[in-house]
Amino acid sequence: MSRVDIKIVLLGHEYVGKTSLMQRFVNDRFNESLSYQNTIGSAFASKEMQLDNKKLVLGVWDTAGSERYQAMAKIYYRGAAAAIVCFDLTNPESFARAKFWMRELRSIEENCVVYLCGTKKDLIDADPKLANPQIDIVNRYAEGVQCKFFLTSSKSGENVAEVFNAIAKDYLASNPTNSKSVGNFITLKEESKQSRCCFV
Amino acid sequence: MASSASGSSRRVSAEEVLVVEAGIEPGASSDPILLTTDSFEEVEQELNSVGIDDPQPGSSSQLQQTPNSPVKRVSTFETLEQASSVNSDETDELAQQLAQEHLDCDPLKSKEWLAQNKHIFVLSQAGKPIYSRFSSEDKLVTVMGVMQALVSFVQAGNDMIRSIHAGDTNFVFIVKGPLILVAVSKTKESVSQLVLQLTYVYNQILSILTQSQLTRVYEQRRNFDLRRLLTGSERLIDHLLNFMEREPAFLLGAVKCLPLQPAMRDSITQTIVQTCGKIKNLVFAILLANNQLITLVRMKKFFIHPADLHLIQNLVDSSESFKAAESWTPICLPRFDSNGFMHAHVSYLAEDCQACLLLLTVDRDVFFTLSEAKQKIVEKLRRTNCLEAINESMNKTSITTAEIGLPEMRHVLYKCKSTAQFWSPGFQAPYNNEKEIQRLIGCYQCLHHRLHVPNRPLKLLFQQTDKETMLAWVTSGFELYTTFEPLVTKTDAINSIGKLLKWIKKEEERLFILSSPTF
Repeated sequence: MSRVDIKIVLLGHEYVGKTSLMQRFVNDRFNESLSYQNTIGSAFASKEMQLDNKKLVLGVWDTAGSERYQAMAKIYYRGAAAAIVCFDLTNPESFARAKFWMRELRSIEENCVVYLCGTKKDLIDADPKLANPQIDIVNRYAEGVQCKFFLTSSKSGENVAEVFNAIAKDYLASNPTNSKSVGNFITLKEESKQSRCCFV
Repeated sequence: MASSASGSSRRVSAEEVLVVEAGIEPGASSDPILLTTDSFEEVEQELNSVGIDDPQPGSSSQLQQTPNSPVKRVSTFETLEQASSVNSDETDELAQQLAQEHLDCDPLKSKEWLAQNKHIFVLSQAGKPIYSRFSSEDKLVTVMGVMQALVSFVQAGNDMIRSIHAGDTNFVFIVKGPLILVAVSKTKESVSQLVLQLTYVYNQILSILTQSQLTRVYEQRRNFDLRRLLTGSERLIDHLLNFMEREPAFLLGAVKCLPLQPAMRDSITQTIVQTCGKIKNLVFAILLANNQLITLVRMKKFFIHPADLHLIQNLVDSSESFKAAESWTPICLPRFDSNGFMHAHVSYLAEDCQACLLLLTVDRDVFFTLSEAKQKIVEKLRRTNCLEAINESMNKTSITTAEIGLPEMRHVLYKCKSTAQFWSPGFQAPYNNEKEIQRLIGCYQCLHHRLHVPNRPLKLLFQQTDKETMLAWVTSGFELYTTFEPLVTKTDAINSIGKLLKWIKKEEERLFILSSPTF
């Protein structure tokens, strides 16, 4: 965890599966037998990614969805390069909450790129009638606010890596200097290591 | 260590033998790692201080003084003198109403629900349901209304309801700040033990919200629905209640340590001290494994109370997600400071070493500093084979009294008062299933209660039943609760206690933490 290149924050209503999403991405695990446990405070995990021959370290902050931690979310999205706003594809309340986060981020943290993520895709794959709100409504909303929309299932792993890949790609593409700094940083680090070897 | 037992060999009575042996205080330390106020003394204070409006703590209730009030409900358990049992016409009516309500509401029609041994309810002073242990609390609006009525009815008389005893059921009430907590119990636990458990539940709520936030929300709106702020935290309270039923730590107000070679433990402690010594505002570093303490490093001048440590253990034991990622968790330790949050960096040492490290700080911006420190600690512990030592001790089944060479002794709880630590061996037959273990813990609770009744505390208790013989003994240095085969004589019991104490003394450096390291 020496250094994080991209700070990503997960936001969303409680019980939409932010922790599971992070678990699937970082450890490629999903624990089906475990009953739901709310996150207390927040959790952090980092993962190294390879993109176009560049190494990137993604640092993911998983925040608590419960109301009492709402005020603390600011600490975590401050300075974040990207935010994944999650909602449960079968729960309209969580979608309303996602819209709230979207507005909050847009007004307070302008430089944070927001990605909308509908979770528990496996549920609506099994029974399309469960989808609430309808997918095309969400699509229209995402177009309206100009953010990328992903349907993911942490249970099957579907589309999880894609979300984070998209974030990394957009991050490098959005600003050529990002790309440079990432590349330079890695070489610098290696050099410094070598030089240390020589002297000690 | 106090002076050792005198070598006099005169024949003395059984009790005297114990007194002679009392020089031995295994695990004693003049430099305790934890705060060591006697948890039970605190319960007494608790009993005296419940009810902010209570003008004369300890006075008997006005209701009880009413002449001609027929005592219909017989108290089957010895209650503390301070705990005024309310026995009067008025409360009888309310109790009947309560029973009547049982028929009108959903969960109350359920036989299963009614048969539960111990119900715990939390409600606001305005009567709003907050928590119920065995059913969704919103179905219990009416019952909680009755509870609130009972409390405010007695409060109106400038008094405080403590408990009601109906047949084999005890109703115990405490009022803490804006909350009312009620236990309805068919277990043999005493009123003070139930008060202790309710206080833990209250402290658990404080640990999530802090006292100041709790007070504030109710100042702003008297009929605030606290469940909004507690969503998802019910599991912590649920877990705490189950935890208290099987862990003697709560009853004893003590903490159990993971047995480790003293050199290993020192090495682990030193690693933490050296790595974290320079981090500002780091107050406590706590390493836990299997709910047992491996080490605790504290900032000079600051101590942690066992009750706070129990809440931390409860948090760790009930949160599976700590295993997956590093967590940055706000936590209020009510005994340390009930009005503010500390920030805890919580993580397990490694995939291959499931000990949980908590770094508690008052600085909310040092996550990455602590994260880095944790990495360094793990690397060093791995290099020095400490992770292996921890794993080895975690995976070893606890030694039984039979293995110590005490065949007639089945089980024991030993608490060293000066360090607030306790030790117990592994359970062995017949306590090898959940039900029997529960029964044994229940027996310990009874013994504990009888030793600590405030108006006539006992020093020594020998009790023979058809299932086991038990001997409990309190000295200035320790508390001891032993379980023997049913037909063991007093002399044999005392002899094997002597052997046990010698064994604990011999092993004390491995079983207890005898120093109190600081940053």
